[in-house]
Amino acid sequence: MQETYRIAGQAQGTTYAITWYADRELVNKTQIDSIFKSLDASLSIYQSGSLINRFNASQKSIEMDGHLARVVEKSMEIFCQTGGLSDITVYPLVRAWGFGAKPTDTMPDSATVREILACVGSDKLQVRDRRLLKTIPCVQIDVNGIAQGYSVDVVAGFLEARGISNYMVEVGGEIRTKGLKLPDNEPMKIGIETPSVTGFDAPVIREVISIGDGAVTTSGSYRKFRESGGIRLSHIIDPKTGFPVQREIISATVVAPDAITADGFDNALLAAGINGAFEILNRRPDMQAYFIYRQPDGTVADTASAGFGRYVVAKADR
Amino acid sequence: MAGAGLTSAFTPAFAKAIGSADKIRLGIIGTGSRGAGLATLIREMPDYDLVACCDIIPENLQKGLSLAAKNAKGYTDYRKLLDDKSIDAVVIATPLYLHYPMAVAALQAGKHIYLEKSMTYDIPQAIDLVKKVKVSGLVFQIGYQYRYYGLYHRVKEIMKENWLGKITHFECQYNRNSNWRFPVKDPKMERAINWRMYREYCGGPLSELCAHEIDVVNYLTDSRPVKVVGLGGINYWKDGRDTYDNIRTVYDYPNGVKASVTSVLSNAYNGYSIRILGDKATVEILRDKALIYPETTNNAKGVVDGVTGATIAVTTQGTGVEVKFGKPGEAQLEPTVFALKDFAECVRNKKEPVSNVETGRDGSIAIHMGNAAADTEKVQYWKPEYSA
Repeated sequence: MQETYRIAGQAQGTTYAITWYADRELVNKTQIDSIFKSLDASLSIYQSGSLINRFNASQKSIEMDGHLARVVEKSMEIFCQTGGLSDITVYPLVRAWGFGAKPTDTMPDSATVREILACVGSDKLQVRDRRLLKTIPCVQIDVNGIAQGYSVDVVAGFLEARGISNYMVEVGGEIRTKGLKLPDNEPMKIGIETPSVTGFDAPVIREVISIGDGAVTTSGSYRKFRESGGIRLSHIIDPKTGFPVQREIISATVVAPDAITADGFDNALLAAGINGAFEILNRRPDMQAYFIYRQPDGTVADTASAGFGRYVVAKADR
Repeated sequence: MAGAGLTSAFTPAFAKAIGSADKIRLGIIGTGSRGAGLATLIREMPDYDLVACCDIIPENLQKGLSLAAKNAKGYTDYRKLLDDKSIDAVVIATPLYLHYPMAVAALQAGKHIYLEKSMTYDIPQAIDLVKKVKVSGLVFQIGYQYRYYGLYHRVKEIMKENWLGKITHFECQYNRNSNWRFPVKDPKMERAINWRMYREYCGGPLSELCAHEIDVVNYLTDSRPVKVVGLGGINYWKDGRDTYDNIRTVYDYPNGVKASVTSVLSNAYNGYSIRILGDKATVEILRDKALIYPETTNNAKGVVDGVTGATIAVTTQGTGVEVKFGKPGEAQLEPTVFALKDFAECVRNKKEPVSNVETGRDGSIAIHMGNAAADTEKVQYWKPEYSA
């Protein structure tokens, strides 16, 4: 008899929910929470003594663990494929703009930004076997833009290793699904939310998709931003200019085979703007994306890559 | 608002013009705890020269003068202070029953006035003071400093932006766990020092504590109460006082919005707090910060199995999110400093204060209605003639 099993909790400063369909429980919350603990110990800038924080504090290099090695490898790949729009060495800028582990009240001026830019650029990182090296001591990395997606993959991998083949893993709005809902063999439905006005509004569904075996993530600055002189400053910093991204895209939803890919690209697509985003997507046929954006007249519209339509669940079937 | 009135319709009868560079020559009438507190802030402000103090209690007067300019004059009779033609403006920080006679005398003497809250001892005084201030052409500000505080400006803004949804209730409390007394060395001075305990001098917790919150609700809703019910008593501090040691009122505002206003002197949990209840979120205003608690509405569930969206920080679910206000890096000042700065600005440019005689009247009448509701155990209604 196939049952529905659920585990929900808090991790990485947000919530997670795991649903699977099987004839036995197979996985428990303690196991999941210990996976998140090991991820935090490696990748969290919010946890003192984490591997990433030790690298940031180091003068030259550290020995990576499996988590950090995988995330760094993928980040470097995406750095190249996005023309540098996705760059984990952006952390000193993120901190200066007040989105680091410690929020600040101040804003950097352009001289400060210029100074910090000297420490930014993934070309200042090198990987030699398991060692991660920096060419100058002030280089610091922040993998928040990709770690959540990676975590989803790690949890999904754990479920699969336990013999679960019908599941949904969701961490802070990043999702991976496989198989069907049993026993009725129904596809899993995922809502894409309408960007909210305030930082904490409950989600409202704009579109419903079903992606089969794959991952979907969404990036948007509508929840995390600062306000300065009536202008909203995005938490996504352009690593080239050093300033918060000011683009027409409000949210970018990416479907990819795995969550680390989807999550790794979503910020960059948002930073690239609609035209730039489609250029990047043209080179990645395994990825589809859906954008909600602001038109020049202020109204909100949406658009998507050509292959995205096949995921959309018709209104009648929702 | 009657804001335009001051500059055009009325010509100050006595007050002399004060240039933008000139310091305002200020006198304080009443240098007890609040008056001396104001003097401490005024001393640091470039806008004022505190040139005179008045108090009938020698220790208070001494304290005031110690915070004033060198050569400042001390008085025990406020009328003598008002006779000093060189004084431009006065702060009145005396027990409530003295507000009206002192304010009227100060208007007659041509002084601009910063009068501590609440405005008047009773309703007829409030109505009459509006008339007298209007014909005087003088600047008249009531010491409701929260109208000048960025925190409240921001809360009003997010209410307008519909962060809270439809707002139906306010829950205000101003509690403390103390007898609310000052030490008295000479028993003869009991009533002069602990005037808050006696109805002869004030309206008790509602006029001396909750006044701020009633004014805040008026300010945030741009309205005033329609009616009020209330219960009060002296059930804990049975020490000879005749003002309530606990009072709970419910004010009814236009469109059915209700504001409970409470003061309990035997519990200090979240002593000062205003909760604004909307159907999307609650805001809780504390002394120097405000928190938003979103309602958890699971309108997404049932339709789909999961939702993809920008990460919701876990702190926004069930716990409060702090309301940011002010500009980044801006110094956090005591709200009263902003009120006093604006008073100087109003005096120099003949502007009507945000906390003015009409908002002051609305607050005072609401307070008296609330006390009357508790005294009579009958609903008290706002009468048309109050705001005619």
